[in-house]
Amino acid sequence: MKEPLPMHREFVFPNVLAGDAPRAAESPMDSDAFAGFYERTARPLWAYLARVSGDPALADDLMQESFVRFLCASRPEEGEVAHRRYLFRIATNLLRDHWRCPRQSSIEEIPEEFFASSPSSDQADLLGPALACMRPRDRQLLWLAHAEGYSHREIAQITGLAAASIRILLFRARRKIASLFRQQSSIHRRQP
Amino acid sequence: MILKPCSREKEVAELLRRGQWPAACPPELRAHLSACRSCGDLALVTETFQRARTEAAGAARISTPGALWWRAQLRSRNAAVERIGKPILGAQIFALAVNLFMVVAFLAYQARHGISWLSWLKQLPQAYSLHLDNLSQSALLNPGWSLMVLIPAAATLALLSGVVIYLATEVQ
Repeated sequence: MKEPLPMHREFVFPNVLAGDAPRAAESPMDSDAFAGFYERTARPLWAYLARVSGDPALADDLMQESFVRFLCASRPEEGEVAHRRYLFRIATNLLRDHWRCPRQSSIEEIPEEFFASSPSSDQADLLGPALACMRPRDRQLLWLAHAEGYSHREIAQITGLAAASIRILLFRARRKIASLFRQQSSIHRRQP
Repeated sequence: MILKPCSREKEVAELLRRGQWPAACPPELRAHLSACRSCGDLALVTETFQRARTEAAGAARISTPGALWWRAQLRSRNAAVERIGKPILGAQIFALAVNLFMVVAFLAYQARHGISWLSWLKQLPQAYSLHLDNLSQSALLNPGWSLMVLIPAAATLALLSGVVIYLATEVQ
């Protein structure tokens, strides 16, 4: 006589409790591949989040959340470049969510100590106060374009903005921050 | 503000992207930069941001990828269990609704027709022993509501209620 089959969810839906049933076909990245991807992208992502938000602690949280969501999501494209772009998109959306309903601090409350302590060079000294004067969206655009080197089309994919408007938004933001850099440079020069 | 892109912006951007700025910049391009605001802005901003990126990336506090990997696995697993649980929860709600409907229907029927089986119980002769044959014979002869319907209905309700309660608590 055959033994009755166990009516358990793990039996009815194989591997579901292992967390890989519905997603297995969509996310072939294993733990080793993820470790390599993480090593290559974690630092640039943290730099983006920390500089754009102005809050290193928030950057820590959002970076971890970005990677977890990246692993859980069904990624639209394959390949390191596409994965990296998708990761930045997740991080950008998380930043936007944070600004919409801040949990601990407001976007207007830029911690001065972060900008005062971390940069060592003269040029980096210019960046913190200048970024603080920019709108959050402009900070994102400037960082993605000039620090990460993304094209307008890629920035549009990451931020969700229209590709046609990226060029003009970026032009304005660049002009504004360049003016701020020059102002600060002249102030620094005047100071003994 | 008028958008006036310079024709040499791409040239400057390419040098910056390759990291060859300013070492590989030809003198005439350098001279152009001092005169062109658009290219000057591009060089200044890109150089500043790239330096800031290098410094911030060096200062990053990076946790181990393993912890994030397992956190993601756990979240995926919970999401999968939740997806499976949704139809089960639906079935439980349906079963509960059917049960409630039966209770309400029964009570409504009783209220409409009167609790005739109580009088039937009173009419049972004292001499009758409580054998099923006697009871069924008496119930069949009685023109009103009989226990033959009432008892199985109550038993079914009790059984279904038990199953619903069990399933509901098992999920929690």
